Amino acid sequence: MADVVQVAPADDPVRPLFSPAGELTAEARATLGLSPDALRDLYHKMVWIRRTDQEALNLQRQGELGLWGPYQGQEAIHVGTVAALRETDWIFPSYREFGMGMCRGIDPAEMLKLFRGVSHGPWDPRTYHFAPLVIPVASQVPHGVGFAMGSRFKHSDDVVLSTFGDGATSKGDWHEAMNFAGVFQAPVIFLCQNNHWAISVPLAKQTAGSIAERAQGYGFPGIRIDGNDVLGIFAAIRTAAERARRGGGPYLIEAMTYRMGPHTTSDDPTRYRTNVELERWSAKDPIPRFRQWLEGQGLLDEAALAAINREVEAKVETMRNRLRATTAPAPGEAIFGRVYQHPSDSFLEEREEFESSLESN
Amino acid sequence: MEPVTMAKAINLSLRDALANDDSVLIFGEDVGTLGGVFRITDGLQKTFGPERVFDTPLAESAIIGICIGLVLRGFKPVPEIQFDGFIYPAFDQIVSHVAKYRNRTGVSMPITIRVPFGGHIGAVEHHSESPEAYFAHTAGLKVVAPATPGDAYALLQSAIADPDPVIFFEPKARYYLKEEIDTAREVPIGRARIAREGTGVTVVAYGPTVSIALDAAKAAEKENISLEIIDLRSLSPLDMPTILESLRKTHRAIVVHEAPVFGGFGGEIAARIADDGFDLLEAPIERIGGMDAPYPPARYEKLYLPDVDRILEAADVALAYG
Amino acid sequence: MADQTFRLPDLGEGLTEAQLVAWRVEEGARVEINAPLCDVETAKAVVVIPSPYAGTIHKLHARPGESVAVGAPLVTIAAQETPTTVEPEDPAPRTLVGYGPGAPEAGVRRRARVAPVATGEPGADVRAAPFVRQLAKEKGVDLARVTGTGPGGRITKADVEAATSAPAATSAPAATPATPATNGERRISVVGIRKAIARQMVRSVSTIPQFTEFAIFDASALMAAREKQKAGGRSLTPLPYFIQAMVKAVRAYPLMNSSWDESRDEIVVKQPINVGIAVNTSQGLLVPVLRGADQLDLHEIADRGAKLIEGARAGTLGPGEMSGGTITVTNVGASGPVETGTPIISPPECCVVAFGAIKPRPMVVDGQVVARPGAWISISVDHRIVDGALATEFLTALVAELEKVSA
Repeated sequence: MADVVQVAPADDPVRPLFSPAGELTAEARATLGLSPDALRDLYHKMVWIRRTDQEALNLQRQGELGLWGPYQGQEAIHVGTVAALRETDWIFPSYREFGMGMCRGIDPAEMLKLFRGVSHGPWDPRTYHFAPLVIPVASQVPHGVGFAMGSRFKHSDDVVLSTFGDGATSKGDWHEAMNFAGVFQAPVIFLCQNNHWAISVPLAKQTAGSIAERAQGYGFPGIRIDGNDVLGIFAAIRTAAERARRGGGPYLIEAMTYRMGPHTTSDDPTRYRTNVELERWSAKDPIPRFRQWLEGQGLLDEAALAAINREVEAKVETMRNRLRATTAPAPGEAIFGRVYQHPSDSFLEEREEFESSLESN
Repeated sequence: MEPVTMAKAINLSLRDALANDDSVLIFGEDVGTLGGVFRITDGLQKTFGPERVFDTPLAESAIIGICIGLVLRGFKPVPEIQFDGFIYPAFDQIVSHVAKYRNRTGVSMPITIRVPFGGHIGAVEHHSESPEAYFAHTAGLKVVAPATPGDAYALLQSAIADPDPVIFFEPKARYYLKEEIDTAREVPIGRARIAREGTGVTVVAYGPTVSIALDAAKAAEKENISLEIIDLRSLSPLDMPTILESLRKTHRAIVVHEAPVFGGFGGEIAARIADDGFDLLEAPIERIGGMDAPYPPARYEKLYLPDVDRILEAADVALAYG
Repeated sequence: MADQTFRLPDLGEGLTEAQLVAWRVEEGARVEINAPLCDVETAKAVVVIPSPYAGTIHKLHARPGESVAVGAPLVTIAAQETPTTVEPEDPAPRTLVGYGPGAPEAGVRRRARVAPVATGEPGADVRAAPFVRQLAKEKGVDLARVTGTGPGGRITKADVEAATSAPAATSAPAATPATPATNGERRISVVGIRKAIARQMVRSVSTIPQFTEFAIFDASALMAAREKQKAGGRSLTPLPYFIQAMVKAVRAYPLMNSSWDESRDEIVVKQPINVGIAVNTSQGLLVPVLRGADQLDLHEIADRGAKLIEGARAGTLGPGEMSGGTITVTNVGASGPVETGTPIISPPECCVVAFGAIKPRPMVVDGQVVARPGAWISISVDHRIVDGALATEFLTALVAELEKVSA
């Protein structure tokens, strides 16, 4: 019995859109079919999520948040990805995809409850098709694959976007999930946000090989692209999603980007990396890049820029005020409220005892 | 109905669950074409097709990890972990996600994880373990272990119907125990049963040790010692009222499990008795279990595991307190 | 303009202090929200702290080089009325998430006390199992005087039972006297029923705002009814009459048979009327419960009530017979010269009724002072549920029921 080994899947509609260096070709860029308003909206969203990121950092420094994990530098991925998907497609994020959640319509002041320590998950994933932020690295990847398998079982054309960082590719769960996806032909797009750093460990110490090319070993295509080009992200995700919708199976996109800030507010990146590197990546900052492109296309003038900034400032101020007015649920509800749908008597007794111990004197 | 084995009872229970609820999926290593290494899922793929009963790659963490997504997509997964000793790669998914997802999102996780557990089958390493305490310790999970075919059928129905995640431990040494079963009988999670009434000493057991405790009770009867045997059936939640009710009669308790005693689930039972039934005790609570050593090579397992003699010795000690 | 003091937050998950590196503002200067205030160095990193307020710098609380504790004042800003008038959910600095756990405030209990701390059991050298100790307490056996026949000289159940039947067995009070303290005080360790009573009473007076009302009723009809029963060969105490009258009055005023649910701020009106009967026992006060008193006739009340009282005194009642009461009755006039009292509600009930001794009293009948049998009644009620007017109506109804007793 002869085993058939499929080395390079023939069906790869993404690769033709990109140069060998992972840049979206001029031709592909010209045929995206996005209206001027849609293009300006991508820019608007990138500015909004960056400003929100900065404000969250301020709020942490002011004692309003316990911790914050900035995503500065990765906005093109956050915005481009959500724009390329249908609302009914599910996103299974890691922990840094705050901007994606905002683009999916979740109120940032609500999401910040996570970092304010009042909730482990302040939104219902079923409302936004956006799974909870997950902290144990790579452990969310099999969840997305399971959902995608379910989509196939139900003959639905909803696809799944499963995202993770470069560090996640070292974990067993990542491999297990990639393998399941290949075996079950699950409609899932794996999006590796390769931001070059897993806290203090650089890419070179994380893995000795290419991440994108590993896809072939699981029986589906993969590509490494420029992760700081919002249109490149948009094109790759949309095309891979269409392929998955048609029953083409999984796709792995490795988006090269850079975490410009610290891992979290508890981190000090000056201990492990140089300013030279940061400056090099600042030159590829996705926001000024896209602004220049839009200006070059005649799609963005001073007045439009000012209007965007005004609108973003107003949204950020609203978020700040709403966050500071956050009320915390009562301790009994916060601790015991969502553990079991059918709790046992002894569980309820423990809650009751706890709550009565809190009665004020 | 003819008497059936526990293996068959579980198979029937899975079959009925698949037939009654389209959202139930069964998967794991070798559960499809082969019907499982213990043949528990025998014939299910044939009847219900490979989209509802399927083989997965050899990867426990992913077997449990995909359950999260499948639930979000509207399914009720009933995965099988092939052996107790292979559940550890899935520990992170069970503890960090299956147990906590509802707490994190408000979305319940109706997942029943079936695990053959315990020793007595002369197996090689990693095939005879009793990891129940790890999971009973984890808030958000329910943990059950039937001891009879009838309970296995009914308890599995309750587990699959439960909106919360359940770890379903099957005593593999009792897979071939036979009895007539009544598929209409309900066994709710969290309810123990008195497997045998007695007045002298209460013996709390679950899963594979229930049969041994019953054997001990028969032997004790010849010596005019009366043991009351409680089959817990459910470890979490734990049916303390039934245990305390028994202690009001006997004032003495023995806990028996196969897992090592140190840090074992028997410690929780003993502590609860000390908390809620302190004034009932006439003797210290005896705990009988595996030794605080890894499960031994098969030829030593009989020395390692609780047996009739150890239960009788513990009863002697308990009764010596007058 | 209002002065706002900004305290140093925990900038990195569990830090306790930071060193002030440099100020970027000076006193008197204006700042906007998020303008850099200062650089501080923590154990993890050097960071810039942005201003949480817009306004004028009023005071800088630390100098460069100084160490500032998390939660200590950093800067006071005469803040503009910010467009946001919302207050943070808790103005206390430590509860802000970014201030970390900190140390608990010294000398302040942060939770209501659940139970008094139990003192050690006396007679530590006595070897006996918990159940045997419990039995000894119930039987009034002093374990120090019992010789154990169990393993290692352990006292067994049989030893206690033997000691109970022995003539020399001493009667021990529920509270066992412990070693006398050096200053002449005696400390009595509180265990068992005494402890339970204490807990229940503290819960009652500390959670239930209760008030008491008094009345005297004419017991002529009741005494006549008792005579009639006696003639029929049945001797009844006043208690069943009291209970029956109370049940009838409660039916007319169901709020008296209710509970205040603190978790939801709701009144829970109970369906069956389960009457707790306060019984003085050698162990202390016990309250066995006469379940479904509204479904019982006078004789059933008398029979079951007598059994419960007897059981309480003998210590043979199970927990099920001592719980679940919805209203309580106490007979304070059963012995001694006590006319009445201010009974304390048994939580979570709403009402307790006390009856005094029936004896001849001067009463005005048709303008003439005559001697008639009578007794005091007092009721204590939960003012959250019942106001004075309603309590008076209930008490009036209760008196009326007692004065028209016929059976």
